[in-house]
Amino acid sequence: MEERFIIELTQSLKNFLPEVSLTVTLSLVILLDLIFGRRFKNIGAFVSLAGLVVTLFFTIKQYGGSYQIFRGMFVVDPYSTFFKFVFLLSAFVIVIFSLQSYELRETSARRRIGEYYFFILSLTLGAFLMAGSVNLIMMYLSLELVSISSYILAGYIKESERSSEASMKYVIYGALSSGLMIYGISLVYGLTGELNIYAINASFLSSGYSPIVLMISLVLILAGFGYKISAVPFHYWTPDVYEGAPITVTAFLSVSSKAAGFAMLVRFLKASFIDRTITLGIEGAWAVIQGLPLTEIVAVLSALTMTVGNIIAIWQNNLKRMLAYSSIAHAGYILMGVVVMQNLGISAMLIYFLAYLFMNLGAFYCVMLVAEKTGSEDIEVYKGLGYRAPFLSIVFTIFLVSLTGIPPTFGFIGKLYLFSALINAKVIWLAVVGVLNSVVSLYYYIRVVRNMFLGDPESGKEPINFSPAHIVVMLILVIPTLLFGVYFTPIVNFAQISVAMFGLR
Amino acid sequence: MLSEFAKVLLFLIIGVIFVAGGLITNRLIRPHKPNPEKSTIYECGEEPIGNPWVKFNIRFYTVALIFLIFEVEVVFLFPWAVIYKELGLFAFIEMVVFLLILILGYVYAWAKGDLEWDKPKPKYLGFEREKREIEEVQA
Amino acid sequence: MQILGIGILTWIVFLPIVAMIFVLLVPKGRETWIKWISVVATGLQVILAAVLLLNYRYDLAGVNTLEGFQFVEKYRWIDVSGVAWFGRIVIDYFLGVDGLSMPMVVLTALISFIGAIASWELPKTKGYYALYLLLDTGMMGVFVALDFFLFYIFWEVMLLPMYFLIGIWGGPRREYAAIKFFIYTLLGSVLMLLVMIGLYFSTSIIDPVTGEKVHTFNMLAMMDPKNYEPGSIFSGLHTTWRYIAYIALFIGFAIKVPIVPFHTWLPDAHVEAPTPISVILAGVLLKMGTYGMLRISFPIFPDGMIKYALPMAILGFINIVYGALAAMAQEDFKKLIAYSSISHMGYVVLGMAALNTQGVTGAIMQMFNHGTITAMLFLIVGVLYDRAHTRGLYEFGGLANQMPKYFGIVIIAFFAALGLPGLSGFISEAFVFLGAFQTYKWIAIFSATGVIITAGYILWTTQRLFFGQLPERWKNLPDINARELVTLVPLAIIVIFLGVYPSPLINLMNTSVNHLVKFVSEMGQAGMQLGILP
Repeated sequence: MEERFIIELTQSLKNFLPEVSLTVTLSLVILLDLIFGRRFKNIGAFVSLAGLVVTLFFTIKQYGGSYQIFRGMFVVDPYSTFFKFVFLLSAFVIVIFSLQSYELRETSARRRIGEYYFFILSLTLGAFLMAGSVNLIMMYLSLELVSISSYILAGYIKESERSSEASMKYVIYGALSSGLMIYGISLVYGLTGELNIYAINASFLSSGYSPIVLMISLVLILAGFGYKISAVPFHYWTPDVYEGAPITVTAFLSVSSKAAGFAMLVRFLKASFIDRTITLGIEGAWAVIQGLPLTEIVAVLSALTMTVGNIIAIWQNNLKRMLAYSSIAHAGYILMGVVVMQNLGISAMLIYFLAYLFMNLGAFYCVMLVAEKTGSEDIEVYKGLGYRAPFLSIVFTIFLVSLTGIPPTFGFIGKLYLFSALINAKVIWLAVVGVLNSVVSLYYYIRVVRNMFLGDPESGKEPINFSPAHIVVMLILVIPTLLFGVYFTPIVNFAQISVAMFGLR
Repeated sequence: MLSEFAKVLLFLIIGVIFVAGGLITNRLIRPHKPNPEKSTIYECGEEPIGNPWVKFNIRFYTVALIFLIFEVEVVFLFPWAVIYKELGLFAFIEMVVFLLILILGYVYAWAKGDLEWDKPKPKYLGFEREKREIEEVQA
Repeated sequence: MQILGIGILTWIVFLPIVAMIFVLLVPKGRETWIKWISVVATGLQVILAAVLLLNYRYDLAGVNTLEGFQFVEKYRWIDVSGVAWFGRIVIDYFLGVDGLSMPMVVLTALISFIGAIASWELPKTKGYYALYLLLDTGMMGVFVALDFFLFYIFWEVMLLPMYFLIGIWGGPRREYAAIKFFIYTLLGSVLMLLVMIGLYFSTSIIDPVTGEKVHTFNMLAMMDPKNYEPGSIFSGLHTTWRYIAYIALFIGFAIKVPIVPFHTWLPDAHVEAPTPISVILAGVLLKMGTYGMLRISFPIFPDGMIKYALPMAILGFINIVYGALAAMAQEDFKKLIAYSSISHMGYVVLGMAALNTQGVTGAIMQMFNHGTITAMLFLIVGVLYDRAHTRGLYEFGGLANQMPKYFGIVIIAFFAALGLPGLSGFISEAFVFLGAFQTYKWIAIFSATGVIITAGYILWTTQRLFFGQLPERWKNLPDINARELVTLVPLAIIVIFLGVYPSPLINLMNTSVNHLVKFVSEMGQAGMQLGILP
């Protein structure tokens, strides 16, 4: 008995190497920071980068397999591995951003910079666990790991009141929604006596359930997820936190934390609430278990999220805040992929995440550079920027165009697939809402472009120069944004294969 | 035949009635003669000193947090210790790794001075509040 | 037909992009190089268009048959292998021309070339020409793309350069005009996007390489009802979804034309845009709307076309009369021309709605002729504005003696616009009315009032500008210069030539138009006769 247990554990550990390597890295980050931190300020960053590369190596090795480890606590499948790539990429880019960030360099945060990278890595680790966990408790714990890391990161600039306020608000909203979520989880546990999501599903199918109680628990759990992905009406924390947190952290939260939320949400819905004994006419479509208006709930959530996000974004003059609302809107777009309850929708969602990774990080990077040079994130400072910093302005324009979803950019491909999924499933109304929202979003994205180029250049202002390192980072982000907009075969291939979840058709 | 949950519900109802009933009867039969002396806060019979909403020093929290972590760690150590012999080397290594990670955190907190009780007054390095205050003074 | 191993259509489309890269590489302080690179590139485009014209086979129809297209280039662009739950995704890089697109290709090349010359004096040269060339690629691409996805990409690629060209180099209210243009057009194109995706899921063809059944963006495949999968959203004929799709597409294209309820962006954009951009906008961009209808809406949704032909004709009538009346009320010379554009595009819509050989021929001819005439008109406005810095019609008078050469050119353009026989405008309007009269007698008759109103505002404008007393402050106005003549004279020659001898243009499109009309009316009627009506 014990022998088998240990063999199982060692087996599981072998398949847990990416997470192990992340854990080792984050321990090393603080250890080395303690020892060498005084002499080499950026040692944490370089150790993190090295650790992320090693993790990437293990993740690549893992790709393609599909098995569960730690006695059904956790699964490794193409789906979770895909998200791990997203997390790793964004963490990697964020660490590079942080190396160049003026906020971290010029405040007291520089004395605690080792911890900063520690939290970036622990957030990534939490996101890894979120993508793979199939047990409700495990899901909750990993969600909390991500949340707690992000609370601390959001308030990292202690002397900035905005930052502290952001952190405080984040904690309070976070506590509330995770409280709701754990209540929902306890209801599900009460209903089925199971915590493993596959077992929960089996229990629903074999011994039935009360739709009303299930509905209540689903709504409660969705509150937890909705908070993580900042879906309306659980989005209230987003603008304040995104505005207050250091830009690097905002960018990181908007990609990693959101992607992790989506990864877990989709797995949870697909594993628990789908009746796999029923086959629908369309290939890859799932039948929701009876009596549960899951599609409708998600569809309304999606339409609300993108509309509210876009409409409020129009009125924002602070770029960070505007991008915060835009990221709410994007959560709405991504939810469109979930609405259809089909593999096609999920693959569209995955494609969109890759696009979102590049374009959103790029947009935040441009905001960061401008804020560093001009000291403000206000839309006013962008006036005439096109003539003072032409390269940055052009790159920023490309990111904004991509966020709007105009070809030939990666953002368009993402939207194309989302709309395709909707139309294939004949959810036309949502597709129409989606495209109209794209048009609305154009208005506020193009406002920035207008300020950059359309105003007359103010003669007194100096041109802004950027170091080669800045330009290289911009290029790293902008080239995929354009390239995959024209040639997207590999991305689509990758996303379609990655839809496969452990034990699910 | 009641289901398991109904029993719980019944238990809850009876509990609520028990408490609420006591309070209500109390309310009904007790005399009601308040005076200022009576409505002061009870502080072991002494005159109350200061505001009850005292801010605890933030240093307590840091120490409490660190203490809590090692307290919880014991929860994992006890069951491990009970079956240590059966599990052998593997479990030993696992626990060492676990403890090492915790100790690393402890060392970090120590090295960063979080266990010092006497701390220098925190210095603000500038930024918004300072700027605003300076501006206000100047204006 | 290939040059250096690359198809001629690829050359004609991507030559401006190549030139754009060169323009961006030109060092600071060498603005003249930039201008010459752009003019040479667009000039080469004209030569390529001429080569196309010389090698064009007049007996091939095109429209819905691959064999009928010429200079076809078809390469696999996107190829995603299928998975268990979703089939293979293929998108082709598919170019070709037929009688519908050939006149437009020639027009685009010509107008781009002239626009490039007319842009000579504009500031911020590098940015301007780079965007201009990008725009050029987009326009050319729209007219030669035969894959819907490719078409859509080119269609959208034009938006951003156009936004900047209006927004940076435009007049005082340029920001407003630019964003209005952008939002209107994007609204139209997202509707098109949805229809495009719907069509993609509805049609499938057998892939010639692998023998698999694949969904496709191929426009020609979408025109064949056999390729529609049963049970898909657009299968069958005369279904509600097909009608909705037709209307959505129609709105998408109508915004570009513009057809009256969607026209409000046009006067703003035209008035604020710099002269060469107005020329491009009126000369080429408006034609994309009507071209899109002919290329996509009509053959893919013949049932919708037949069902909504009458409303479309009425919209054409409204365009003609409303545009002309609005033009009459303008005091701003450029705004007048802008509204006259709306009026003239109404003829195109009316001709297309008639759906007979004369009507459609007239429509395409009108597209071409309006392209040349209106380009002239905007250049003329530009000439005057550059000298006087005002466009108020009431501020001028007696310019005929002051600027005699200018007067001569203007008269040709004006008379062409009002449809004087012997100039190209007359021929196309006559064809449109011939066609429309057969189908919608009364609408045609009422629309003819538009001609009278047009004559009214054109003659009034002539009178206000050129006759009467020359105000003191215009005594020193110089006459038109050589560079401006270079832009105007070729257009004037084309206008006169096609007015006297229109057969080359008619021959160019004749086979295709006949085929299109026959195909659309048969297909549209077929559904009705079979009783598939809902």
